[in-house]
Amino acid sequence: MRVLIADDEPLARERLRHQLASLPEVEVVGEAENGARALTLAERLRPDVVLLDIRMPGMDGLEAAHHLARLGTPPAVIFTTAYGQHALEAFDLHAVDYLLKPIRGERLAAALAGCSRVNRAQLSALAEAEGLGGARTHLCARRHGDLVMVPVDEVIFFQADQKYARVVYAGGELLLEESLKALHEEFGDRFVRIHRNALVARRALRALVREDGVLKVELEGSDERLEVSRRHAAELRALLRAGG
Amino acid sequence: MERQPPASEMPTTFLPDFCGLRIVFAVVVIGEMLALVLSLAPAIDARRWSDLGLVSLYVQWVALTGTAALCLARGHLARLGDVAAATFAYLLLLAVILGVALAALALVDALGIDPLLPSGWDEGFVWRSLAIGAIAAAVSLRYFYVRHQWQRRVFAESRAHLEALQARIRPHFLFNSLNTVASLTRTRPEVAEATIEDLADLFRSSLADPSEGVPLEVELDLARRYLNIEQLRLGERLNVTWEVDELDSSLAMPALIVQPLLENAVYHGIEPRADGGTLSVRGIREGRDARLVIENPLGGEQGPRLEGNRMALDNIRARLAAFYGRDDLLQTEVDGDRFRAVLRLPAERGRG
Repeated sequence: MRVLIADDEPLARERLRHQLASLPEVEVVGEAENGARALTLAERLRPDVVLLDIRMPGMDGLEAAHHLARLGTPPAVIFTTAYGQHALEAFDLHAVDYLLKPIRGERLAAALAGCSRVNRAQLSALAEAEGLGGARTHLCARRHGDLVMVPVDEVIFFQADQKYARVVYAGGELLLEESLKALHEEFGDRFVRIHRNALVARRALRALVREDGVLKVELEGSDERLEVSRRHAAELRALLRAGG
Repeated sequence: MERQPPASEMPTTFLPDFCGLRIVFAVVVIGEMLALVLSLAPAIDARRWSDLGLVSLYVQWVALTGTAALCLARGHLARLGDVAAATFAYLLLLAVILGVALAALALVDALGIDPLLPSGWDEGFVWRSLAIGAIAAAVSLRYFYVRHQWQRRVFAESRAHLEALQARIRPHFLFNSLNTVASLTRTRPEVAEATIEDLADLFRSSLADPSEGVPLEVELDLARRYLNIEQLRLGERLNVTWEVDELDSSLAMPALIVQPLLENAVYHGIEPRADGGTLSVRGIREGRDARLVIENPLGGEQGPRLEGNRMALDNIRARLAAFYGRDDLLQTEVDGDRFRAVLRLPAERGRG
């Protein structure tokens, strides 16, 4: 059984490594210090199980699990946590495996023997119980076979492209298999609809211009000018005035 | 927050301190009101104001002698239970009234000032004095008793409040620390041992009586022990700078104020950052007072976690207010990408 450890504390990782070493037929294939790194390593090393600390900087364990669940062959996930208050009730309720730190050797062995994959429905329920509202910090997609992670804060705009959403960010662009509507629901606090087919980061809004009789918006960080529909023009003007 | 008397000031007996100026003044005021009532009551207008003078003189004589007697008997009264103390004090007052009344009669006779007084004033003078005095003394003692009950309730409430506010170590920190120790026992037992000792110190002080102060030195030492543990957990992600040499290390302050501020700084400012950051503790001497400035980078959090931060800060503010009787000692601000908590520690534990 190939296991990946993800925890931001070096000593917590060290302890797990020691404990796992004493179990037969278990091999630690890698260690990650945050969620994003865990995702990258999981993609590359294809572990059977990921031991995922819930509270990690950058991308936390729950979000990492969300992205893991979208991988081609997702690994099983066992969450680890030092203290979770009411959230652990939700883990029990949705039959998601977790271990409490300091983790007992026999509990670890039992969890590895019986662990299972988590699905998106379970994860959404957990995110809600944790009070996280479920908004991701990163977007995750495959490009030329590689896994690419983009912090949501770096996204300039989303544009609907048939059944995909085109994501344009500071370092390039990628395609997500998600609807613009779902993205708007998730990131509505930071993004604004300017057209049926486009969702723009509020912080990137620069100015409204008229080009060949069509109203368009200029954006920070991108040369593309996106069309603004009449329906959204007034709201956008108000936003620009408030921002300036 | 309301200003409350420090714990040490709650008297055990319901009788107030009759040697104190405030109570003597209260007795004088009560006596004078009684004198006014006595002078206003008779239906003869002519002598009212000259009577008030004499009645006041007499009433104050009784009242102040009674107060002096209670003051002298205070040591004995304090050892008695409420009922025994009340009975003893009441009998003592009756004795004083009787004594003063007899002395007044003798004095009037000796000085021969009968003509100044209304005719027939001395008929049953002693009994009338005793009756009026008995009522006045009973009412006064009852007043002190009710006042004491009220104070005790306020005190108990504030005490319960303070205990509820007692500094708590975050469970998150506790269990992560235990995990750290579990890991260290295998590879570095001596570090594990030292960490257990540090944890023990932290918990002991979180269980200590919150109304008692500690020297700044002890508080800073505890803060260092706490950061030692965090350092083990977070490794190079946590960088700490200390500049507290100029502070007066003997300054008294409430316990576990600095540690939760540092815990906040670590929890909200260092842990959420993948590359960690620098936490700085700076001490500035201001006359006899001290100012501590704790800074950390912003962790970029929002929502429920920040709400937790506000609650932790409110708890610290309330404990500062309970100790110093002031609610302006802890200020926080965001300066660019740094969060700053400024804690002022006055040398005077002022109140009221």
